[in-house]
Amino acid sequence: MSELRKDLVSGRWVIIATERSKRPDDFRPASPEKKESASVFCPFCMGNESKTPPEVFALRESGTPPDGPGWRVRVVTNKFPALSPGAPPPKSAKGIFQWMPGVGVHEVIIENPDHDKELSDLETSHISDVLLVYRERIKAIEEGLHYQYVQIFKNKGKEAGASLSHPHSQIVATPIVPKRVKEEVYGSERLFRTLKECIFCRTLREETSLNERLILRNDRFFVIAPFASRSPFEMAIYPLRHSPFFTSAGEEELASLAGVLKTVLTRLKTTLSDPPFNLILHQAPNPTVSQKAWPGIEQYFHWHIEILPVLTKVAGFEWGTGFYINPVPPETAAGYLREDK
Amino acid sequence: MKKILLVEDEQPLCLLYQEELTAEGYEVMSVHDADSALDSLKNKTFDLIITDIRMPGKDGVELIAQIMGLRKDVPIIINTAYQSYKEDFMTWAADAYVVKSSSLAELKAKVRELIKD
Repeated sequence: MSELRKDLVSGRWVIIATERSKRPDDFRPASPEKKESASVFCPFCMGNESKTPPEVFALRESGTPPDGPGWRVRVVTNKFPALSPGAPPPKSAKGIFQWMPGVGVHEVIIENPDHDKELSDLETSHISDVLLVYRERIKAIEEGLHYQYVQIFKNKGKEAGASLSHPHSQIVATPIVPKRVKEEVYGSERLFRTLKECIFCRTLREETSLNERLILRNDRFFVIAPFASRSPFEMAIYPLRHSPFFTSAGEEELASLAGVLKTVLTRLKTTLSDPPFNLILHQAPNPTVSQKAWPGIEQYFHWHIEILPVLTKVAGFEWGTGFYINPVPPETAAGYLREDK
Repeated sequence: MKKILLVEDEQPLCLLYQEELTAEGYEVMSVHDADSALDSLKNKTFDLIITDIRMPGKDGVELIAQIMGLRKDVPIIINTAYQSYKEDFMTWAADAYVVKSSSLAELKAKVRELIKD
């Protein structure tokens, strides 16, 4: 019989198919995803900087001018953004319908100059640079105070929403705190009141003691297949040091996270033949907003990263109910992802 | 006279753009699909390309990627009825993205901005 499992923080239910569990081979594509070739054209490749908006941040060789070659990580604003920068005006309403102008930030982080080198193919020091750029951009955008939430995410592969295969991440900052973020914040606050401790720190303790879904642990981070995983081979990475803000991560912590990311993304790649995935950073809203709206958030929220391989389709049942159906129990997934092949 | 290559599969729109841009003082050559556009670019030089996205055969995004292999220096304007293609980063190879409307003011302004005297 299948199991219904509840994600405590979000309140979301998941159907885990414990019988006839699928194996990694069941998800291997018949043929690998066809990537567009860098030889055709890629606006993110080194040498094509003139096709992007001017860089807002870059890690580059000393002495090289902006918007030319010589960079390792490059951040540009979206050339055709859905949201435009600026101070958010108040919400408007007509009857029951509310709206506000589309104000926000949309930036693209080009993770490396090489079109064919995925994040997991980079040296750990380079992945650490990408994480450092995440941190610095979040800090800079949050200082503007216009934006209540800064979301960093990475879509890898067409099925996961990436339109170009050149490795990149994206930053979208919004003038409101998104619903899912609010659900996580309220959920962790509610659990803090009940448990008298951070739910994420408690999860770390219980997962370590059970050792059923633990994938990896080092002196600064732990990676699990979450108890109520929505997607087969879903992973969550948590820092051992409790903090609601990714921006509090120091350089040593980022270097350690880079090593963890390299390991788990490489395992995902080898276990499932390079699947499409979404990587999402979950952190507390802009500290100025958080401290006003959620006093005490420092105690109960804990930043983390989710990696969701795109191996199943979200369809009518999921949209209608908010339930997900996962054909691979996280305990089984963790077993495969723990193995160092 | 500055030359524009117009790639648009809908005949009435093609005639409208051709007439309006000719009245602005440009020489306009129109083709109705991506392959014809690539053939034209191999044989002639243009100062600007205006392309639709949804067309029979290769779409405008594929066309832009292939144009980059031939000529990176010719400015390109995407002229489409759809906002959604903005999510495709390959469109960054273009210099402007105009959403089709009953007024051609934005398209004409982008043409003036991108065609250098």
